[in-house]
Amino acid sequence: MAAPLVQEAGTAPGTPGHEEQELEEKPSRGRARIGRGLDRYALILAFAAIIIAFSASVPSTFDTVANLSNILGSQAVLFILTIAVLLPTIMGDFVDLSLGASLGVSAMTIAVLNVNHSVPIVYACLAGVGAAIVVGLVNTVFVVYYDNNPFIITLGTMTIVEGVTFIISTNATVGVVSTGLSNWVYTNTFLSIPLEFYYALAIFVAVWYVLSFTPVGQKALVIGQARDVARLSGFHVNRQRAWAFVIGAAIAGFAGIAYAGTYGSVAPTAGSAYILPAYAAVFLGATAIRPGRMNALGSLIAVYFLATGTAGLELLGAQAYIQQIFYGAALVVAVAFPTVARKRIFKRRKTPILPRSTAAGS
Amino acid sequence: MSEQFGGRDGASSPERHGQDAPRRGETPALVARRISKSFDRTRALDGVDLSINRGEVVALVGQNGSGKSTLVKILSGYHEPEPGGELSIDGVDVPLPVPPGMAGEIGLSFVYQDLGLNGGMTVLENLNLSLRVRHGLGAWSPIWWRRERREAERVLRLYQVSLALDARARDLAPVHQARLAIVRSAHDLRRFQQASGGHSSIMVLDEPTVFLPEGDVRFLFDLIRTLVSLGGSVLFVSHDLAAVREIADRTVVFRDGRKVAEMLRGDFDEDELVNLIVGAATPRRSSARAEATEEPEDALTLDEVTSRSVAREAGRAVPAAAAASGPSRSERTIRVEGLTGGRLRDLSFALAPGEIVGIAGLIGSGAEDVPYLLFGSEAATAGTLEIGGETLSIPQLTPSEAVRKHLALIPADRKQFGLGLELTVWENMVMLVQDDHFKRGVFRRDELVEIARKGVVDFGVKPPRVDVRASALSGGNQQKLLLAKWLLAGPRLLIAHEPTQGVDVGARRDIYRIVRRAAGADAMAVVWVTTDFAELEEVCHRVVVVSRGRESGELQGDEMTEDSIGAAVLRQLEEVG
Repeated sequence: MAAPLVQEAGTAPGTPGHEEQELEEKPSRGRARIGRGLDRYALILAFAAIIIAFSASVPSTFDTVANLSNILGSQAVLFILTIAVLLPTIMGDFVDLSLGASLGVSAMTIAVLNVNHSVPIVYACLAGVGAAIVVGLVNTVFVVYYDNNPFIITLGTMTIVEGVTFIISTNATVGVVSTGLSNWVYTNTFLSIPLEFYYALAIFVAVWYVLSFTPVGQKALVIGQARDVARLSGFHVNRQRAWAFVIGAAIAGFAGIAYAGTYGSVAPTAGSAYILPAYAAVFLGATAIRPGRMNALGSLIAVYFLATGTAGLELLGAQAYIQQIFYGAALVVAVAFPTVARKRIFKRRKTPILPRSTAAGS
Repeated sequence: MSEQFGGRDGASSPERHGQDAPRRGETPALVARRISKSFDRTRALDGVDLSINRGEVVALVGQNGSGKSTLVKILSGYHEPEPGGELSIDGVDVPLPVPPGMAGEIGLSFVYQDLGLNGGMTVLENLNLSLRVRHGLGAWSPIWWRRERREAERVLRLYQVSLALDARARDLAPVHQARLAIVRSAHDLRRFQQASGGHSSIMVLDEPTVFLPEGDVRFLFDLIRTLVSLGGSVLFVSHDLAAVREIADRTVVFRDGRKVAEMLRGDFDEDELVNLIVGAATPRRSSARAEATEEPEDALTLDEVTSRSVAREAGRAVPAAAAASGPSRSERTIRVEGLTGGRLRDLSFALAPGEIVGIAGLIGSGAEDVPYLLFGSEAATAGTLEIGGETLSIPQLTPSEAVRKHLALIPADRKQFGLGLELTVWENMVMLVQDDHFKRGVFRRDELVEIARKGVVDFGVKPPRVDVRASALSGGNQQKLLLAKWLLAGPRLLIAHEPTQGVDVGARRDIYRIVRRAAGADAMAVVWVTTDFAELEEVCHRVVVVSRGRESGELQGDEMTEDSIGAAVLRQLEEVG
């Protein structure tokens, strides 16, 4: 009858069952520390492994400059969007789903202004980035100032912006955007790699510098890891979150320029295909370099790990949609592997808890 | 007040129990004998006896660390007592330690300070939560909402409580939440009673009144009286002597793990009770302390098992000198005027640079709001802070403004508010000074790591490594790290809330030393808020006593002893309440 009391007392911390659990936690921590060195480079090792595997199986097509150019160039749009995604995520606002839609609306604005209204391409691009920034501002107002759940708000703004994109495109693919843009984005190359890769790299270096080599980045880390601590340490938590949303949206707008330049014509659904791969890259990147933390360098590696994997699979003859399976599988394996490995170790030495030093053996 | 309610509703049940009671009357509802419990070398409970009769309200009073909560936790099965103790309920022996989950099956129910309600669920759902926990096929039996509703309405009527069944628990006023929790517990006990054929049931109320607004406490008393009239017994654990006087048939006083006195309702004498709680007649004790200040080592009483002895040794020179002379009033350049917010009403005090001022108050008195209001992290409604020749409006203060004005906050909940546990030691330590190490576009991380390296040595953080996560440190070392973080920023006013909570004796001593050194050397004023009055005696130059949200006295010099602080916080409650 008084069953809940049974439950409450049983699960209360300090009851024998709980203590046992805690004791088990401890050796795992020591073990995790040893594992961390491996965790950190696991993605890079996997990257190296797939390069070697593809080089061995399809050397005639994989080991070519054209392939390298394809991998680095074709994924520049995703690369730029990944950097955009990184910003709010690192601040602990785990999702800004609307960034894909921002990419789409930016690309569509450029296409519509340039093609339908003959606006010079430079102004069209500015307008595209401006449209993306507006989306970022709306998110900021509702998520940061009115303190709502970012998932729900950005789910809403994503849907709205996608709808708006359909309206301004009148539900049709718009093209062909000025060749000036595609020349400067995709056609012209430097060291055989399309210029857009270098634009992406420039944005990456700027973000990487701010996040990793300035107090602002260090504060962003604290805000993401422990928001209350940041607030009580006098950090301008909301101001910094707001900047993350707005700059993230602006970078998504740049990704829209790259998209318009790369493909020449813009479909109304352009953005939605990119957002989830970008998140996959960010979370995959969080397992590398600084495991457990979203980090710029890890994201860079993750993007090109995924790009190389899909390019290699296509060269092996796989269909384009295999990309999806590869992305998903890589994410699940990378995120789950450390915890699965730890659980297995638990099971092996369930009863006597061995001192930490023996953990290295397993 | 409640007698008139007594048996108006639910008349049948009280009568049934009324007939039951005499037959079983000789057997007390609960008997505990020779219950002992030690933590490390601290004797928390030393051969305690306690009995509760059927239909009796027994109040359990005592200071922090007197063993009250330990006893409650032994009854709930949370702690394992030492062998030799006995517990019987309704004449039936209960094995000790109480097996997990058994408390409910033997007619014990607990309502703790946090009430254990699910805020997002409705009153009805909360009330019937215990029916939802079923195993096996029972988990699949349907919920008859309409029947449960009727039943719930009946129960609320029975206990004279009117609550909207569809209101969400978190939307209720605190007093209604408390009533809901008590009714739920009472109803669970009644289900048990009915199933077991009139077995005794005991409700343990562990400080249920501390967060209730003044005056609202009375609403609970009617409920407790109804409960008793229905055949239940109550163990009422409280600091609030006014509430105890009102509701308890018998008052049991614990001190230092022993039962030192029992007082029947008729003999209730508040002055005597305060003396019993704090240890002795206060005047005598404080004069003894006064003599002892000359020879601190001898002054150590054996019954103090806290860090006191060690701590006293570590830093005795400073407070002795300061307490003797003390900064004069004109030196007190840091002034808090009319601080209002949370449970606090119009609190004013002043500090001199280098002075450590304690704020003493029981839980719920408003003392625990002082740090967060003063730092701007919780909204104050009024008050000013004068610091460094500037007058700041506290309602407009934000944490970032506070940091800029060189205030520092050591929050009690260090895991949530103090440290980024997943961040490394150095990242935590340099959090407030890192801006100074960004020059011409270069972030001098090496300098920061060097600062942290020096910091862990200076502040005695062990292990003295800067690249491990803060979560890997022990509680004491986390606290030292937190202090280091703030002291590196050179604050003018350090506000510490329970800074030695969950900290071992050695680290406690280090923390006292660190704060004293910083206060003395850097002319940093300190506001030290804690319910550990021995610590206040140990560390502070002066203590401001807060009760019911208001300042109720100030103690300093020889009159500032653990016992006198303990007596002051209790006494003030009665006068106001």
